[in-house]
Amino acid sequence: METGLQKEERVPENLKKQLALAVFRLLSFCSKPNWFDLMDWVLEWSEGYYNGDIKTRKTVQAVELNADQIGLQRSEQLRALYESLSAGEASPQARRPSAALSPEDLSETEWYYLVCMSFVFHTGQGLPGRTLANGQPIWLYNAPFADSKVFSRSLLAKSALIQTVVCFPFLGGVIELGVTDLVLEDYALIEQVKVSILEIPYTKSSKKTDRSADRGLASISTPVAGREEINMSSPSDSSNGLEPNQPAEDSFMVEGINGAASQVQSWQVMDDEVSNCVPHSMDSSDCISQTIVDPEKVASSPKHEMAEDHRVQDLQECNQTKMSSLDLRSEDIHYKGVISTLFKSSHQLILGPNFQSFHQESSFVSWKKGRVAKKPRAGASQKLVKKILFEVPRMHVKHMIDSPEDNGNKNGVWRPEADEVGVNHALSERRRRERLNEKFSILKTMVPSLTKDDKVSILDDAIEYLKELERRVEELECCRASADLDLKTRRKPQDAREGTSDNYGNKKNINGKKPLMNKRKACDMDEAGPDMNHAVSRDSSAHSIAVSMKNKDVVIKIKCPWRDRLLLEIIDSLSSLDLDSHSVQSSTVDGIISLTIQSMIKGSNPASAATIKQAIQRLAWNC
Amino acid sequence: MENTTQESHLRSENSVTYESPYPLYAMALSSTSQTRTRNHRIAVGSFIEEYANRVEILSFDAETLTLTSQPELSFDHPYPPTKLMFHPSSLQKSFDVLASSGDYLRLWEVRDGSIEPISVLNNSKTSEFCAPLTSFDWNDVEPRRIGTSSIDTTCTVWDIEKCVVETQLIAHDKEVYDIAWGEARVFASVSADGSVRIFDLRDKEHSTIIYESPQPDTPLLRLAWNKQDLRYMATTLMDSNKVVILDIRSPTMPVAELERHRASVNAIAWAPQSYRHICSAGDDTQALIWELPTVAGPNGIDPMSMYSAGAEINQLQWSAAQPDWISIAFSNKIQLLKV
Repeated sequence: METGLQKEERVPENLKKQLALAVFRLLSFCSKPNWFDLMDWVLEWSEGYYNGDIKTRKTVQAVELNADQIGLQRSEQLRALYESLSAGEASPQARRPSAALSPEDLSETEWYYLVCMSFVFHTGQGLPGRTLANGQPIWLYNAPFADSKVFSRSLLAKSALIQTVVCFPFLGGVIELGVTDLVLEDYALIEQVKVSILEIPYTKSSKKTDRSADRGLASISTPVAGREEINMSSPSDSSNGLEPNQPAEDSFMVEGINGAASQVQSWQVMDDEVSNCVPHSMDSSDCISQTIVDPEKVASSPKHEMAEDHRVQDLQECNQTKMSSLDLRSEDIHYKGVISTLFKSSHQLILGPNFQSFHQESSFVSWKKGRVAKKPRAGASQKLVKKILFEVPRMHVKHMIDSPEDNGNKNGVWRPEADEVGVNHALSERRRRERLNEKFSILKTMVPSLTKDDKVSILDDAIEYLKELERRVEELECCRASADLDLKTRRKPQDAREGTSDNYGNKKNINGKKPLMNKRKACDMDEAGPDMNHAVSRDSSAHSIAVSMKNKDVVIKIKCPWRDRLLLEIIDSLSSLDLDSHSVQSSTVDGIISLTIQSMIKGSNPASAATIKQAIQRLAWNC
Repeated sequence: MENTTQESHLRSENSVTYESPYPLYAMALSSTSQTRTRNHRIAVGSFIEEYANRVEILSFDAETLTLTSQPELSFDHPYPPTKLMFHPSSLQKSFDVLASSGDYLRLWEVRDGSIEPISVLNNSKTSEFCAPLTSFDWNDVEPRRIGTSSIDTTCTVWDIEKCVVETQLIAHDKEVYDIAWGEARVFASVSADGSVRIFDLRDKEHSTIIYESPQPDTPLLRLAWNKQDLRYMATTLMDSNKVVILDIRSPTMPVAELERHRASVNAIAWAPQSYRHICSAGDDTQALIWELPTVAGPNGIDPMSMYSAGAEINQLQWSAAQPDWISIAFSNKIQLLKV
């Protein structure tokens, strides 16, 4: 089948029917007429038939339609689309559920067809106008390159790949045919078209019925005076995979006439009611459907898909050339007006944005089945995506485990408990490691004079420290064995020594102190345990407060007797010193609380380490 | 006539390329359209299999077709970001908000000369540790909502204004790989368990499985919900050259399978302004634009047009602010293509 556009205009009402029929006859030739009304010396689009490249089919067809029916249906859909757009119907959503078309469904030839509907030609103006004025057919090759004064739609035609445009007067109107092939002038073809139009009888049907019937007809407005334009275009692949067929075009080829000559005449046209026309077209469609064209397959040019961009570009070219001729400019304005109307009422239009920046053509080329694509490289498929999805998460997990302090310091308290959420192995593994890290961080706080933060160093220091403690336990035990009284005197130097290591007391509590304490209790006076502890810590508390500052980070380690609200008071006093405490670890053993507080200096005049120490000391002593 | 068509893809004026020092994966296009004072922003995330990764902000000028890096706006990211996305609302005032996912969901404030972290969102109540995120989606109807997907089988919905977890759902039986919002309260996710599930925040007890991969447990990697027609979504399978188009009204039966890629598909994106166009890109180095027909022919669906890049295309975004541009990422390049 052939892609073609046809427009017709006619004067007498009765003839309309026949024109419609003719149009449909043309269908069997695979050309498509649009109908123009001639009113007040003006040619308007009247009826048409589109049989060209179709981008998107909107109807769910239970029954295979033949080519003609499809063409008719398409024509009607196009007409309906144009009407709805020009009526400013602003809700494409509402339109969508039906089988109706949206602007984004159109191929570029359909655009051409659609936009042609909006054109109005005064007599003598444009191709149809001159044809009507002359009474002579005009045969225009290479339409896209025609002077815009001769063919005002040349840029539009270019975008639609319309190559040949033929206009001939018919029954007071003009029929215009547009074809995407170069067709030599052949007046026999015109005669044939005329005859076929006249041959067909018409019956009346209502537009509504027509729509309800699933096959569409070209919707036809009533033409009063008419000009007919027929565009026949040979189709390129439609995206639907329809094979375009070129009908009997070759047979139509005859010698040509140069159609560029034109004369201006005014024509009087009578007005007709549009609604009357519609039924006719319907009927004719029925007639048409019986004539089925056996299409030959034609090699198709693949460019159709690019249409949208061409349009854009053309539009722009239009704009650029606007200055060159006044006529052209007015056409451009008209075209732009139509386009902007269409776009306004359809936000869905994929091409819309092109109009904002239409310098460029598409980077994409139309797809061809046979096109040789590069062989995919050997190797894993979806390599990067898989890494992102499968491996990157593991990197995070691993990182969290390897450097918990990073996270703890950056984001606040390191909370040790596991998520409830975990399901898979990675998660339970993660939890295990988390617990491990937590224990390490506890161990770290308990071991004094840490050199480094990594796990090995922590363990090294812990081992060293344990050895030292063992040594001391031994020492103490033998001291105690010597004399109860000696114990007291010995304790003082011992405390002094503790002072050198921040967390000494802390450690002692956990690792080695219990037996020691018991022994002390046993050997000390008969005071109650807590008092005893109290005394110990009191003695040593001055030494168990350590404040280290590094830049804005302040780490405070405290060991002192536990009491109510102590922690709270410490934090309060720290914040009164402009310290923002973001991490606190505490453990209480035998009434001794061991605190490690990490804070940040907020203010610009930070308290000195000594001041902080004093403040805490006061609190720690105040028990 | 018109032989320019054939050559058009060779011209450089319909594409712009930026070459980064690093391989790239994540990519986001800002939703603010180009203004006189500000160009369209593009964020790209490096893919380096180490801790130190980088997010760069590029500025795209569609008028002059330039894509320039703004070094003052680049920042470090722990490990490669699994996804980047700009705030979907173009009503943002003087700055853009960028979100990134990885260990946490992070929000960044992108100003003209600076970029500042706004927040780090951790959904674990009990731990600093939050299961790593595979992807997220910003709800464009309700922009204070972001949904994240995680390898711990959950999806988390955030209120990013209050920085709180709105809800956390165990969404799948296995890792969740991608998430996409449909409406303000409806999202869908895909998972290693091979299913596409739809969730409604108003009924958190139930989810609807609308598709399951044919070979059981073939993971589904990517998901895209058609914002122009919410009946349709698209997903991709692991090691598959198919783009599976789903209609939520007909669960389990895909309405179409697009199979013209010659290697696995890596990324998909619906057209921002058309309800029947989708772009896909894959290991065959091609980006294909498809137009979904109402009725598929017997021989499958052919794409409408294609573009061939120099290497496997890993990432694809279709700009909502400038719908005539598609951006792709391959090796260490990003390229903006005129549609």
